[in-house]
Amino acid sequence: MFYFRGCGRWVAVSFTKQQFPLARLSSDSAAPRTPHFDVIVIGGGHAGTEAATAAARCGSRTLLLTHRVDTIGQMSCNPSFGGIGKGHLMREVDALDGLCSRICDQSGVHYKVLNRRKGPAVWGLRAQIDRKLYKQNMQKEILNTPLLTVQEGAVEDLILTEPEPEHTGKCRVSGVVLVDGSTVYAESVILTTGTFLRGMIVIGLETHPAGRLGDQPSIGLAQTLEKLGFVVGRLKTGTPPRIAKESINFSILNKHIPDNPSIPFSFTNETVWIKPEDQLPCYLTHTNPRVDEIVLKNLHLNSHVKETTRGPRYCPSIESKVLRFPNRLHQVWLEPEGMDSDLIYPQGLSMTLPAELQEKMITCIRGLEKAKVIQPGYGVQYDYLDPRQITPSLETHLVQRLFFAGQINGTTGYEEAAAQGVIAGINASLRVSRKPPFVVSRTEGYIGVLIDDLTTLGTSEPYRMFTSRVEFRLSLRPDNADSRLTLRGYKDAGCVSQQRYERACWMKSSLEEGISVLKSIEFLSSKWKKLIPEASISTSRSLPVRALDVLKYEEVDMDSLAKAVPEPLKKYTKCRELAERLKIEDRGC
Amino acid sequence: MWRGLWTLAAQAARGPRRLCTRRSSGAPAPGSGATIFALSSGQGRCGIAVIRTSGPASGHALRILTAPRDLPLARHASLRLLSDPRSGEPLDRALVLWFPGPQSFTGEDCVEFHVHGGPAVVSGVLQALGSVPGLRPAEAGEFTRRAFANGKLNLTEVEGLADLIHAETEAQRRQALRQLDGELGHLCRGWAETLTKALAHVEAYIDFGEDDNLEEGVLEQGRKPVSIVSPEPGTTRDVLETPVDLAGFPVLLSDTAGLREGVGPVEQEGVRRARERLEQADLILAMLDASDLASPSSCNFLATVVASVGAQSPSDSSQRLLLVLNKSDLLSPEGPGPGPDLPPHLLLSCLTGEGLDGLLEALRKELAAVCGDPSTDPPLLTRARHQHHLQGCLDALGHYKQSKDLALAAEALRVARGHLTRLTGGGGTEEILDIIFQDFCVGK
Repeated sequence: MFYFRGCGRWVAVSFTKQQFPLARLSSDSAAPRTPHFDVIVIGGGHAGTEAATAAARCGSRTLLLTHRVDTIGQMSCNPSFGGIGKGHLMREVDALDGLCSRICDQSGVHYKVLNRRKGPAVWGLRAQIDRKLYKQNMQKEILNTPLLTVQEGAVEDLILTEPEPEHTGKCRVSGVVLVDGSTVYAESVILTTGTFLRGMIVIGLETHPAGRLGDQPSIGLAQTLEKLGFVVGRLKTGTPPRIAKESINFSILNKHIPDNPSIPFSFTNETVWIKPEDQLPCYLTHTNPRVDEIVLKNLHLNSHVKETTRGPRYCPSIESKVLRFPNRLHQVWLEPEGMDSDLIYPQGLSMTLPAELQEKMITCIRGLEKAKVIQPGYGVQYDYLDPRQITPSLETHLVQRLFFAGQINGTTGYEEAAAQGVIAGINASLRVSRKPPFVVSRTEGYIGVLIDDLTTLGTSEPYRMFTSRVEFRLSLRPDNADSRLTLRGYKDAGCVSQQRYERACWMKSSLEEGISVLKSIEFLSSKWKKLIPEASISTSRSLPVRALDVLKYEEVDMDSLAKAVPEPLKKYTKCRELAERLKIEDRGC
Repeated sequence: MWRGLWTLAAQAARGPRRLCTRRSSGAPAPGSGATIFALSSGQGRCGIAVIRTSGPASGHALRILTAPRDLPLARHASLRLLSDPRSGEPLDRALVLWFPGPQSFTGEDCVEFHVHGGPAVVSGVLQALGSVPGLRPAEAGEFTRRAFANGKLNLTEVEGLADLIHAETEAQRRQALRQLDGELGHLCRGWAETLTKALAHVEAYIDFGEDDNLEEGVLEQGRKPVSIVSPEPGTTRDVLETPVDLAGFPVLLSDTAGLREGVGPVEQEGVRRARERLEQADLILAMLDASDLASPSSCNFLATVVASVGAQSPSDSSQRLLLVLNKSDLLSPEGPGPGPDLPPHLLLSCLTGEGLDGLLEALRKELAAVCGDPSTDPPLLTRARHQHHLQGCLDALGHYKQSKDLALAAEALRVARGHLTRLTGGGGTEEILDIIFQDFCVGK
């Protein structure tokens, strides 16, 4: 199931399975003879890739250490990115020049914006993603990031030295020790170990140590952290079985097609890589009382469900749904895993029943009567570190220059991990250059809410982003993430490219200019009524009305305004995004 | 929820230091800080002075000062000889009280020393306490702040306490006492709960509506009955309260359990709460069954409650009482009155409505007497802050009704709830998520 393909020299290196050193032979890596980096990132998941590239973008010589290079960018659970709240995070990661949004625009197979009927503040950009393409594109991006070196190896211990007196913390990290005993030194270290800290996979009554199916857990590192005095908790999560595509009878199921046109995730893209008509559909089916029956009859064979470790209330397993909300039909989305994948991901059927019973249950479901389970669903239990032990810059209070990001902090989700990764990468780099930390506040972004919630309240279940957590939801919208973060990211963090910065500046000034022009255009309401007959403009009082106020009507957009008053409004409709954002800015949000 | 939140916030504030020391043995229990002490009664010469401590080392301090004796029984006054731990010199023979947390004013371990009020004794005891390791003098308001941080008092209660200490008149004293009991908080909490529930449904529809199959019906709210009325005596157990506008006066009606003796433990609790309310009420409506005045419980009621309030002379009476005899329809029209030797009373039949106008008129007069003094504050809202937030809540609810965009409507609800929780504490988003996950099966 692990995929190797065309990534040049780097792949050749990874095939040799050399343990150390495995520095990439790129001209800009400039790896010194005694391995010493500015920043080391441990883990190549969604937090690790963002952290490593962010640190490198900020100018730090960065090393990405991972168990296996071929799993970099692996989507180990659902084949999708984004959604309500999570899409917001992706836009903010993109505004800081992070990777996941751009990679998703190159790898999606079904793009759909959720919540379109509600206000633009709560639109949820979402897409089904081709796992293979995502991994490929991500690995290509990582390979081509200047200053970034990738190396295989499992970290066993941290190298600690005397603390810097001007900071809190009882010691300072200065490098890592690998399983083979070799050492690498660095100014900052970021841990993004996901579910690998004492990870344990559970299927039925069987458990075995693993960070992810087929991958070794990190036990030595977990012990190191505990010895240092970090408070450790335990969480659980799960993933559904994967079903053979050709064994499903789609013809009797409810088909859902993607948006046309597709809305890209990244501010830098106007379109996505694939046309809507070439994209793949999703299908919807439902559970039934027979599913409940199988779950309830076999609870004694299901140790994951019985245990007291906290799992997510959102994204619950089918077992906990049946137990908590009995006698209901639960939705099951059948999602494609990729363009040329033979697998279907049944979203909503996360389960830990013994493997043979999983197929039995699945074949009770409409459309899945003959379904073949290719890989069983399983549960994962893992250690996380109480996130109240880290600062808003994600550095630990206990150990100076040690940063945590992703599931290790008790979150769930690719987007939550990516968001923390960017912030950890930026701050690890800023710490090296002795600059003040880059902190996003609750008033500036979902990233700020996420990190503030974690670092002040902690969490007792896997933390997921919801728009309801955000106090300033009306102003922290997906459309304006660049105005909120790109400019700061460029000036305060140095993680944003010149090109993106200039684009964000242009957009910001165009919006300001557009709004002042709209304010300056005034006609009597009767004239507006004549100009835009389709608008329900009240003419009962003959007062001058500003174009800005006319734009507030639901049925009016920049196009209809520009048709009515071509000069000077026509130029604001040339850029689609600008026209749409003017309309949104004006809604009273 | 907010109590947990404050504890967490307090923990977070202590942050790294606590985490580092957590593993060392003998460290104070998690969630605790330094132990503080202060003279709690007024300064100057007085008969008795009270010195309090709060914090994990309280028990230790008490043991040291009263050595060689052990800790006294919790929450019982005990006579002890206090001596200086350094010199062993006797300081005073004092009453001491030991309040192990969390059942104490601050929620932490507390000790009270009731010593003789001479300045030498007081300063001697204070110095002795200061010599105990881990103890330090309290800062201004620190006891109350700890009580607040540990969820023992909410904000309106804290304000009530401040008002109580500064109360100048009897009416203000009772008002402050009610607030200390959390009455305003209780009322606002009820409203805030309603708004939280409403908001949770709107938020659920925003965060999960599209993918998780929540119906539009989620947005409609149910109504629930305020109280259950049954003919059986003993149905009303909790105190039911509802604010009403009675003849232009803002009134909080408390419906209590009947004061019956010798009933089960649950109803006994209802009776206890009823008696508590009786003491705090401005106006007592004593309701008896006109056809049942000879029964022992009615006689007992007349003898205790009615007689005791009536016995106060009208001029200094802080409490008022109206005796109402219901079920007048059961009395034979020609027959004798309800009974001899009754204090002034009103006859009422809730069944026929007879006597209702008379009761309302009598109520109006009594209320005018209670609230009529324009120099005092309105009875419920002692602070401008309270009025400001309640008005803000009301305004926001007006915006909620007008909004078409669901995100904007939800914002108005959030603002409304925010104003109320400014009075009651709480208001975190986790409460909303709790309701969402309790009420809906969301997630894939």
